[in-house]
Amino acid sequence: MNLVRRVLTGLKSLLVGLGVTGRHMLRPVVTLQYPHELPDVSRWGGPIELVTFPETGTHDCIACNACTRICPSDCFDIAGARPPGLKKMRATRFVLDFSTCSLCGLCIDVCPTETLKYSAHFDDAAYHRDQTMNDLLAPFGDDPYLSGKLT
Amino acid sequence: MGAIHGLLARLTGDFGATLVLGAGLILGFLTFNVLFLIWLERKVSAHAQRRLGPMEVGFHGSLQTIADMLKLLSKQLVTPLATDHFTFLFAPILIFIPTICLTSLVPLGNAQAFAEMPNGLAVVVVLSGVTVIAIFMAGWSSNNKYAVLGGMRSVAQVVAYEIPVLLSALSVVLIAQSLNLHQIVAGQHVPYVLYEPVAALIFFVGITAETNRAPFDIPEAESELVGGFHTEYTGMRFALFFFAEYTNMLVLGAVGATLFLGGWKGPWVGSLPWLGPLYILLKAYLVVFMMMWARWTFPRLRFDQLMNFAWKLLIPVALVNLLVTAVVLQALPRP
Repeated sequence: MNLVRRVLTGLKSLLVGLGVTGRHMLRPVVTLQYPHELPDVSRWGGPIELVTFPETGTHDCIACNACTRICPSDCFDIAGARPPGLKKMRATRFVLDFSTCSLCGLCIDVCPTETLKYSAHFDDAAYHRDQTMNDLLAPFGDDPYLSGKLT
Repeated sequence: MGAIHGLLARLTGDFGATLVLGAGLILGFLTFNVLFLIWLERKVSAHAQRRLGPMEVGFHGSLQTIADMLKLLSKQLVTPLATDHFTFLFAPILIFIPTICLTSLVPLGNAQAFAEMPNGLAVVVVLSGVTVIAIFMAGWSSNNKYAVLGGMRSVAQVVAYEIPVLLSALSVVLIAQSLNLHQIVAGQHVPYVLYEPVAALIFFVGITAETNRAPFDIPEAESELVGGFHTEYTGMRFALFFFAEYTNMLVLGAVGATLFLGGWKGPWVGSLPWLGPLYILLKAYLVVFMMMWARWTFPRLRFDQLMNFAWKLLIPVALVNLLVTAVVLQALPRP
């Protein structure tokens, strides 16, 4: 009797197992076909980048170095210059060493002009350490304040 | 088809033409089938785990296996020095022969099969046991401890599971009163799985074990034996073992469908005879799908559990089932 009960319990457990995989076969897949489909990055906290403000069409970094001081990993290398006729400084060099950045976000909190944010980049890759030096000013090209287009 | 046969008949005579055409059809179909089944296996495994499986080559990865096969064809064939060369090279070929013979025996329609034998079922049982010789040859001649262990396990397993398969097939023979596969199908007005559910279950477990499929895949248990009997095989020789496994699955599935699921019979097959081969194929693929489903659900058995399961459970239950069948058939009035 004990054997019969064990056999029946075993058989039932096998059917339950088949049921589990069978149900999963009918459910939608969770795979994301990465190069063809891109993930939702709206809440992604990627490498730090500069904000582009719609009013001016450029960033608002005043090279105050508040981020340099708060950064626990000493990632920033910032230099600035004062455009003629303007009170504020403008950054002329803004390099972030991403190989030491821990994405803690202290620089974003401390920035007085709120011109730092997490980017949506999720697939950055590099072969050498020096390629992780992100020049954050590169996407902006010529600075409109320094060249006198904006005052 | 008739035109090709006529053309061949001029070269080789009528019998030769039929032989060449039949062998070509079987081999061509089996190759296609293996490509399809490997793709299906990967898809079943993927969807059981809510993945997508191969998607890149062809529509939903349908050409993936062809790409894999081309890659295997282009690989170097390594023959280890210490192997028994003739046995080592012959084993992958031998593993294919009984499977192809088996394919020709399955009835495809009313009095249609590539080969007809009065005692077809006995031949099926004998031939399906031959595969194990090839597996053991491969394991032993490899001169590798994992391969020998895999080969020995395979022999023990197939010998053990041959018996319940035979006993469960016998209870069908008792009902059909014939070993002829055609007559077994002809007798099934209702599929025998409804008369003999226990025998059908035992047969299914038995053929899963005979094809060395998970959860009975201890001859090639990856976590213990590297690749088991095919550890030392490379490139296309390895692919031949792979081919044989999937071909075996389909053929034994087709035999199972013939015995328990009504073979080529189905709706409208009387008026449309070409539906017969389609039905037997669909039913065989159903059995194969069940085997894949089981593989991606159950973990592998330990070796002693496997042997206990065969000798202490499957064989006694199959014997009792056979006895009950015989008694009931005696008690019922003869038609």
